[in-house]
Amino acid sequence: MNRREFLGMAALLPLLGSLPIQALAAPGEAKGNQRILVLVKLAGGNDGLNTLVPYTDPLYYQYRPTIGIPKHQVLDIGQNYGLNPYLKALQPWWGKGNLAWVQGIGYPHPDLSHFRSIDIWETAVDSGSYADSGWLGTLLPGCKPGLHGIVIGDNSGPLLGKNCHTIAMESPQTFLSQIRLLEDMPPAGNNPVLAHLTNVQHQLYAAGEQLSTKLQRPVALGMNFSTSEIGRDLEAVAKMILSGVDATVYMVTLDGFDTHTSQANVQSNLLNHLAGALDSFAQAMQRGGRWNDVLLMTYSEFGRRVQENHGKGTDHGAASVQLVMGGKVQGGIYGDRPDLKQLDGDGNLQYTVDFRKVYGTVAKNWLGQRHPWEQFGVLPFV
Amino acid sequence: MGVLAFRDAAHLVSRTGLGAEWDSIKQLEGRERQNAVERVLLTPAAPLKPAPAMTPWFKLEPMRLNDMKSRNSAWSIAQNEGKRLQAWWVEQMLTTNTPFVERMTLFWHNHFTSSIQKTLQPSLLYQQNLLLRKHALGRFGDLLHAIARDPAMLVYLDCYQNTKDQPNENFARELLELFTVGRGQYRQSDVQAAAKAFTGWGVDNNTGKFVMRTAHHDGGGSAFLGKTGNFSGDDVINILLAHPRTAERITEKFWLAFVSNQPKPAVVSAWAQQFRQSGYDIKTLMRTLLNSEDFWAEQNRGTLVKSPVELVIGTVRMIPYPRESTPEMLNLCRLLGQELFDPPNVKGWTGGDNWINTQTLLVRNAYLAKLSRGNLNENVATNLKLPAAPDEQLVEWMLPVKPLKPLPTIPGARRLVRSLLLDPAFQVS
Repeated sequence: MNRREFLGMAALLPLLGSLPIQALAAPGEAKGNQRILVLVKLAGGNDGLNTLVPYTDPLYYQYRPTIGIPKHQVLDIGQNYGLNPYLKALQPWWGKGNLAWVQGIGYPHPDLSHFRSIDIWETAVDSGSYADSGWLGTLLPGCKPGLHGIVIGDNSGPLLGKNCHTIAMESPQTFLSQIRLLEDMPPAGNNPVLAHLTNVQHQLYAAGEQLSTKLQRPVALGMNFSTSEIGRDLEAVAKMILSGVDATVYMVTLDGFDTHTSQANVQSNLLNHLAGALDSFAQAMQRGGRWNDVLLMTYSEFGRRVQENHGKGTDHGAASVQLVMGGKVQGGIYGDRPDLKQLDGDGNLQYTVDFRKVYGTVAKNWLGQRHPWEQFGVLPFV
Repeated sequence: MGVLAFRDAAHLVSRTGLGAEWDSIKQLEGRERQNAVERVLLTPAAPLKPAPAMTPWFKLEPMRLNDMKSRNSAWSIAQNEGKRLQAWWVEQMLTTNTPFVERMTLFWHNHFTSSIQKTLQPSLLYQQNLLLRKHALGRFGDLLHAIARDPAMLVYLDCYQNTKDQPNENFARELLELFTVGRGQYRQSDVQAAAKAFTGWGVDNNTGKFVMRTAHHDGGGSAFLGKTGNFSGDDVINILLAHPRTAERITEKFWLAFVSNQPKPAVVSAWAQQFRQSGYDIKTLMRTLLNSEDFWAEQNRGTLVKSPVELVIGTVRMIPYPRESTPEMLNLCRLLGQELFDPPNVKGWTGGDNWINTQTLLVRNAYLAKLSRGNLNENVATNLKLPAAPDEQLVEWMLPVKPLKPLPTIPGARRLVRSLLLDPAFQVS
């Protein structure tokens, strides 16, 4: 029986939907409680200073006379920091200790080009080096066989890798229509190139089988999800996770953070969407009993220039902040506070935490892998 | 050295062209190998499609130094014109009678990378493309000297900002690391010496052409790769051309692009020596390569993964399916990881096995499946016909190795071609 026949039959068997997920799972597949990483890419370069606001530092208001977030608006979270008011939906999670911020995140010799800097963040190389694979594309094949990552969108940077089995989809619906066109292929061994190709095709087919089966009747989340675009993407991720799809990493993107002009409106709107979507996602995971198995992390190519520009916006900068959330996260603010008195030659914040320290923490403490950049150590956020 | 059987001719066409075009194969079938290779090498380049209108450098660049509004409009102009430039090349590749020239140009584009996104100057990228075409089968040394003066390259690798007072090492480093000798052959001090030699090389604000700004040039002496002197940029290039590693690295890249995924070091080194002694004549290198036993060896057939360009464009050049619109073809190349005029970084596309991963294979397969059903967003007739030939020959035409899937049991050329198109062996050449 091939997959299409199976699905055809499944449609005739209304009872199938009520079978436990395990009955549909392929034999030998990890059951439940597998740890999951969700990446949220904030594309364009999110302004860290107006996300996690150092509102007690007078220099902040000197550099940001028009776009600085006023003291009375920030949501104080202690340690002389206030949250951007549009992140209000995250407050309960901060209160529960499920949310961590990493401050001063960056790398030496920051590159101010979007393209190059996102490449550095996604391949985790030094500023002057290049790599073909994403940092997870190298790491995940060692974690488990089968499906490694699912990307909503068409750019899967950190998950790129010859042996990293990642699916990029506009939505689960488009994926299911594409995968119907693919036939299974037993791996061929005579020529190494065809062996790689057929192995990838086999993996892809297996992933398609899994997703088709599990998404045939996705679980109901039982709640109203935030309706922004990022909300819909994270809702699709939540459904896949709760329907038992066996991927280690999910990735979604929120674009538009390149706020050279009129930053306040643009960033407020984006942060509002982000916070709403993250809150819905966390609630869905909690209701579905998977919140302790999920670690969600944001990343962005850079922060922004400390000094606001004449267009009430900010230009490309360097160090920024990173958000980490999850049932097992130790809430708090990590890393050393970047000093507004000691900017680099371009007028940017100097980093205090190398981003590979965060990646290494995720690799070692969350995914149970070797730390790929041992020299940077770990942060105890999880 | 015998005459080319049908499948040998198909091999030569598929490796040197864009798609295994039936008529081209038939023209080479039955010829002596050497004679067939000469035909490929000596056919004069077909005319170029007219270039799209593009805003010149001297208009676009000052807008960037202006207010935010001009900067934004400079950005949109660059984006729109960049898309038109990409479309221009795609259409050139779709319609040309000399696909070998396009392939060679693409090879050099992947060696001397530059990007419309970093430069935001499509007109300069167009000029660079003309330069790569001009030297594609000429002398590598001439090409290297010319590319160092190429405005798109000067901007892409920041050499136009490399001055006596503020040296910028970007171009010098990539010249050593990627364009010539490669890592392990030089030290940081050599990079600095090379950067110094290129100080003052820039782009004229009024003409958008190469300019040597002597006031910004640092004429002081330095040591470069064991030699000392007051080097000019051209001196540095000549020293690099005299270095045996330069020829070896270029030759190895040719092997990976045309012969197989596993270069034989001894053969590469012999070809490289010949390449250097020929005054870096690219045609001589290609002649050696295409006449070599390694190129024709059975075990090397089907060991090169078709690039997105070969797959997306080559397939509709060979099989009579209606093609996608140009913007959709560009989108497919992007999804498959090969945006023309916008390589992922200065290293270019790694290619080979790296073209294939779960995401790209899904898109590759969906494209071919859709194509074979004629189920396209926008159909464009290509005036090709399915060849009337026995099944065995259709298999040899489409696949470099035996099919991995069983052939359809119901007869019919269209059904057979569709099955071969979706065979994993169609993804390789």
